[in-house]
Amino acid sequence: MRQALHIFKKDVRHLWFEIAVVITVVVAFAFTGARRALWLVDPATNRTAAWTLVLILLPLAWWTLIARVIHDEALPGDSQFWITRPYSWKSLLGAKALFILTFVNIPVWLADGVIVRAYGLPLGAEMPGLLWSQVLLAIVFILPIAALSALTTGFVQLVFAILTPCVIALGLAIVAPEVVLGGFLGGLDWVKTYYLFLVISVAASAILVWQYAMRRTAAGRSLALAAGILAVLGMTLIPWSVAFRIQSWFSKQRLDQSLVHVDFDSRNRWLARAVIERGDRVRIELPLDIAGLPPGIIAKPEGFSVHLQGPDGTVWQANQLLAGKMGQKFSLEAAVDGAFYRKIKDEPLKVRGSLYMTLFGNRRTVRVPFLDRSVLVPRVGVCSATGGVHRQSYFLICSSAFRFPPVLVSYSFIPSAKEALQDVWSSTEPRRPISYSPFPAEPGISPVSQDFTFSTVRVPLSEARVDTLEPLAHIRRNFEIDNLRLGDFEVRPAPVSP
Amino acid sequence: MSNILRTSDLSKRFQQTVVLDHLNMIVPEHSVYGLVGPNGAGKTTTIKILMNARQPTEGMAEVFGRDSRKLSPEDFTQIGYVSENQQMPEWMTVEYFMNYLKPFYPDWDVVRAQELVRLFELPPDRKIRNLSHGMRMKAALASSLAYRPRLIVLDEPFTGLDALVRDELIEGVLECAEGATILISSHDLSEIESFASHIGYLDRGRLQFSEEMTSLVDRFREIEITLANPSPSPISWPAAWLNTEQSAALVRFVDTQFDQERTIAEVHRLFGNTHQISVNPMPLRAIFVTLAKAGRKAA
Repeated sequence: MRQALHIFKKDVRHLWFEIAVVITVVVAFAFTGARRALWLVDPATNRTAAWTLVLILLPLAWWTLIARVIHDEALPGDSQFWITRPYSWKSLLGAKALFILTFVNIPVWLADGVIVRAYGLPLGAEMPGLLWSQVLLAIVFILPIAALSALTTGFVQLVFAILTPCVIALGLAIVAPEVVLGGFLGGLDWVKTYYLFLVISVAASAILVWQYAMRRTAAGRSLALAAGILAVLGMTLIPWSVAFRIQSWFSKQRLDQSLVHVDFDSRNRWLARAVIERGDRVRIELPLDIAGLPPGIIAKPEGFSVHLQGPDGTVWQANQLLAGKMGQKFSLEAAVDGAFYRKIKDEPLKVRGSLYMTLFGNRRTVRVPFLDRSVLVPRVGVCSATGGVHRQSYFLICSSAFRFPPVLVSYSFIPSAKEALQDVWSSTEPRRPISYSPFPAEPGISPVSQDFTFSTVRVPLSEARVDTLEPLAHIRRNFEIDNLRLGDFEVRPAPVSP
Repeated sequence: MSNILRTSDLSKRFQQTVVLDHLNMIVPEHSVYGLVGPNGAGKTTTIKILMNARQPTEGMAEVFGRDSRKLSPEDFTQIGYVSENQQMPEWMTVEYFMNYLKPFYPDWDVVRAQELVRLFELPPDRKIRNLSHGMRMKAALASSLAYRPRLIVLDEPFTGLDALVRDELIEGVLECAEGATILISSHDLSEIESFASHIGYLDRGRLQFSEEMTSLVDRFREIEITLANPSPSPISWPAAWLNTEQSAALVRFVDTQFDQERTIAEVHRLFGNTHQISVNPMPLRAIFVTLAKAGRKAA
């Protein structure tokens, strides 16, 4: 410990200028971030340019500081003075970790606290997010650059090490975006993100420990390359059904869902379709009904797998993620190969499948009056509603700490009693896609996420309203449809008249 | 006398290039061991492996009887290492550098450190980046002698230094390294000759010989013979004779296994009567050049 402190003091003395730059940018971050809180009550105070500049400068200042402190005792090579001196690798690594903790984590942690408080968000309640955001900061902004710095001797090598995979990823993203990013998994996308975080944290920690203990740079670089490949493969190959299973495992099932079942919606049989499309494809549409939901519970289908089997044993199957709406009725849509369709269309089919869905409930409504102060909205954070110039435009701004709320949020404006009969815009649809992540923070620098909506109706409004719905369970239900003859529902596109 | 440094079948390859080829070397305790050899012989690689700065491909290197790959910080408190191409903390002043290193060494002698700074005339408040090459070497040496290391390893310490600085460095080492074992690699053979007790000759990754300086100097002789009657060159020269030359009645060679009686008898056997035999001792530099030339011929 004494040696670690001794090295730490040396680093502080050497890198005082870089430390001063980081602290200055963090102070600017806290100041501009806290000032943005004024936006809640006065949208004219929004200073996006300064804030954006700080958000760009902050990681650059961190990365420079981290790289400089690690390169001060560069690990690759055989000519550095320190490698033949009585350095303990644990002390050296400890000194670097202490330095990063002191000049990267703690200042930004304090700044986050200042910003969150400036928004009127209760610090005590936001403590899990405040702490988890430090974990994410370490995974996203510290560990990768620290590991790359441990594998390089100086800034030029480091920049090259950062740019090379970026250029390769960019090239791949242009040629084949699905290879780099995989598909977007909606609310389940956090599973892919955390898989990436897991690979980064394990690989970067292993590289750091390995390099400090052994200084075997070639092996460390091979590990970094392998981790990069593993990360891309995972991002590409994780199927949404696996992500859903992980989601179910993480979620508390706070609901009796034993009666929930999925059936063919025979009452709306007429909604079934087999639409002949171009390119020898046939779009199958089957109406399904989600029944047995407890009162006040709304289902949101997230994806399905379906398996069509003809009498001769011919099989076709699909596995698809949905971006559909919420509700009890659901139309399963899948495109089948034209050849397969022609073969089975007049035969009685057996359809088997599974529907993956999220059940929402516990609706809560909070009224936000048009006042110059913000209102605490449980599950969301703080919201404030303002009437604009001459009360002709109205704003509703909601701020959440460390992540967008893990609930479905919808906003609406309520007219004054005497105008109640007039048509006033309101949105009952959720404002933005929800993330089902069970963690209290999302990756990012800004500790506060904001969402806003406005109305320009020329009638006096009395207040705004924020509705939230909580995801209570992520479940899968199997269904079976027998003796379905797709030919009965065939629809041919109308011929285009010349 | 126990062995402070030892290599056993030590090999190092960089891809296809063999730099060390089953090197077996022993450095006895309290010796001043000069490791000499032409450029690319593998001297620096040997030292870097001994200091755990590089990994061997095969074999083993031992320092204080411990595998060099497992040298601990405690072991390094007893080792002073100075290399010609060492990267120093350029931003530190000489004084800060010495003060910074002090807590790493339990046996750091503050008075001695100050004496070394004075002896080498190092400017305490000057940054290392602003020191001349000679001054940097002196700073490195001062910082490596202040804790009375048991082992001092000097890798080409005299390269690029003028004669005065060289003398100062040698004096400094000899004054302060009493009782220590010194391993020094150098091309500057004349300086090594003046204080090395043992010498190892490394060529193309192989140790050609390793022995005490006195026995080495005793067994190498430059011999010049004036023949009584001109005679043809022998069909085969003795293996111990290197750089053989013959012109009419004059024969010259270097005997690497000189023994007064045996060498004279061999001369008479090969050339018959001689008019004169001149036997001259050789300086280390001449021995090194002879071996290097012979090595190139053989290659």
